[in-house]
Amino acid sequence: MATPDSAEEKPRENPVLWVARPMATAARQFAKSLFRPSTIIYPYERLEDPKFRDRVEVASGKPFGVGRVWDNYRGVHSLNIATCISCNLCAFSCPDICIDMVTVAGGDPKHPKKCPQIDYGKCSYCGFCSDACPEGCLTMTTRYELSTPKRSEMIYSPEKLNAVFHSKLPMNPIRLARPDNEDSILLDPPLCIGCNACARDCPTGCITMLDIPKPEAKPGEKLPRRIWKEPVVNDSDCVRCGTCISVCPKECLFWGTRK
Amino acid sequence: MSTVTLYSVSYDIASLILHILGFIIPPANAALTNGNVVTGLAVLVFGVILLAASMLNTILLIWWERKLLGRIMDRRGAMHVGYAGLLQNFADGFKLFRKTTVQPREADALGFFSGPTAYLVTSFLLFGILPISSGWNSGILPLSLLLALAIFSFAPLFIFVSAWSSNNKYSLMGGMRSAAQMIAYEVPLLLAVVAVVIVAGSFDLTTIVYEQQNYWFWGPLFVALIVFVAGMLAEMERIPFDLPEAEAELVEGWNTEYGGMLFAFFMLADYLRALVGSILVVLLFLGGWTMPSWVPGALTTFPLAGIFWFMAKTYIVFGVFVWVRASLPRVRTDQLLRVGWNRLLPLSLLAVFLAATLVTVKCVWPFGCLPSMGT
Ligand code: SF4
Ligand code: SF4
Ligand code: SF4
Repeated sequence: MATPDSAEEKPRENPVLWVARPMATAARQFAKSLFRPSTIIYPYERLEDPKFRDRVEVASGKPFGVGRVWDNYRGVHSLNIATCISCNLCAFSCPDICIDMVTVAGGDPKHPKKCPQIDYGKCSYCGFCSDACPEGCLTMTTRYELSTPKRSEMIYSPEKLNAVFHSKLPMNPIRLARPDNEDSILLDPPLCIGCNACARDCPTGCITMLDIPKPEAKPGEKLPRRIWKEPVVNDSDCVRCGTCISVCPKECLFWGTRK
Repeated sequence: MSTVTLYSVSYDIASLILHILGFIIPPANAALTNGNVVTGLAVLVFGVILLAASMLNTILLIWWERKLLGRIMDRRGAMHVGYAGLLQNFADGFKLFRKTTVQPREADALGFFSGPTAYLVTSFLLFGILPISSGWNSGILPLSLLLALAIFSFAPLFIFVSAWSSNNKYSLMGGMRSAAQMIAYEVPLLLAVVAVVIVAGSFDLTTIVYEQQNYWFWGPLFVALIVFVAGMLAEMERIPFDLPEAEAELVEGWNTEYGGMLFAFFMLADYLRALVGSILVVLLFLGGWTMPSWVPGALTTFPLAGIFWFMAKTYIVFGVFVWVRASLPRVRTDQLLRVGWNRLLPLSLLAVFLAATLVTVKCVWPFGCLPSMGT
């Protein structure tokens, strides 16, 4: 412990100021906030109200209307069912595992159309799902008022998310502009067994299974048991969802640059 | 108006109740309207009115503190329950009263339960003996100031008893700090009171108030006022002298182990003591329920004007306590004692000296003369 006595020998501040200065500060603040403290009384007023324009400009450091603070806000999602290709990427990338792919109307009986259903009780609003969505159909809006008295109402079905889309809320522009993935789906031929799983599950149908010649068996050599077909990916239709990679039972598909 | 006092009102209520009862039950009429029975019930009604008034004021005081503190901190304080959050504290109180009282396993039940109760009861007693206006008082008590201060200094005992019987080291530390602090600050506090008593020439609070008819004592006895307010802050354990609670070091100080209703007792008693402290400042230095003669008569003669002005002054004084709380940080123990012994004690001696001088010269320039000294 330092010697308190030596420190006390030279008082740094006048005791009157030690009391008077903070009290003056408090009085000044009291006078300033007597009629209007800076609290925004939330359920009755909102930051978006025009009367808080100045304060928003100060907070965002930008003029109002150019980069409003809530422009890149991550609120409730909006889903455009019409353009969703059921690629499963959103559910795949969700760190909270709160997206379920559920069947919606509009698919054929053989390939039911599945769209994301989000449980907002678990969602952390990270935005990974809308980042991952290759079609830009799952984006985040600025709506943040989701409280409900029932837990079951926290689960938003695709139709409900679609309704959010049609309510034309401002969307997060950052989530709409996405960099292109230049990589392609490549195949490691010796591993492939020609099972058709990738072609069956590809949401865009850009994989075709082409026949490959069955090689002659050398004496003493046993040919692998497989179907003599190989997937060929049409790069211009592929949306880089990665579904084929995740369904491949032999892990023979991978990302790479096509030579 | 001077004939209507709190006791006469209670007596009227009591006799009204008893006469109605006697009307309903004719055989008991004679027994019920007996003078002793009426007096007994009148005292009871008197107590109930005092209790209700003190509870109401305490809860309003908490609201006042929350609002003021909010404004000083650039926010709003309670605002949803009732008009401007006036009923918030009632809601909080009901919540506390509904909670289970948890008693630590090793705690001493007798002290654990009697400590807070006695603390609260003595605080109520304190409110009962203070005159609020010419009508609202508990009769003529020639030594009411001494009685009030004596009851006021019961508190360290009860705090220490509850802290000791909680069987928790933080409680015990808080209790010891509380006792040490209150005893240390009693000396300058009483000396400041002595200054007032010298000038007023009486220990009766009513007399002290009437001695201030020419000028309030805060002007000539400003030094005593400063010492008294600082001592009161320490006695009430409010920031910057809230070492016994010291949330940052001692969890919650001496009431760490208390929850539910017993915690509500402590809370109520704390604010009651704050109320009493503010009332004492008003009585001793701010002229009690009287107003200066330059105030227009219409403002001082309406019914209950005395109580109104008294309470207005009390809330303003408490507002100053809140202002201090919002501005100053908590002092360390050594600073606490240094302020107490090195600064407040000499100041209070100076205040006594000034008071003696004032009594000798009788008239001081900007204020005027004392009324009828030495009768
Ligand atoms: S925002 Fe994040 S947590 Fe919420 S659904 Fe999308 S990926 Fe999952
Ligand atoms: S990532 Fe987009 S396109 Fe794919 S399933 Fe989800 S919402 Fe539909
Ligand atoms: S990544 Fe695979 S499954 Fe997805 S679109 Fe491209 S080829 Fe189809």
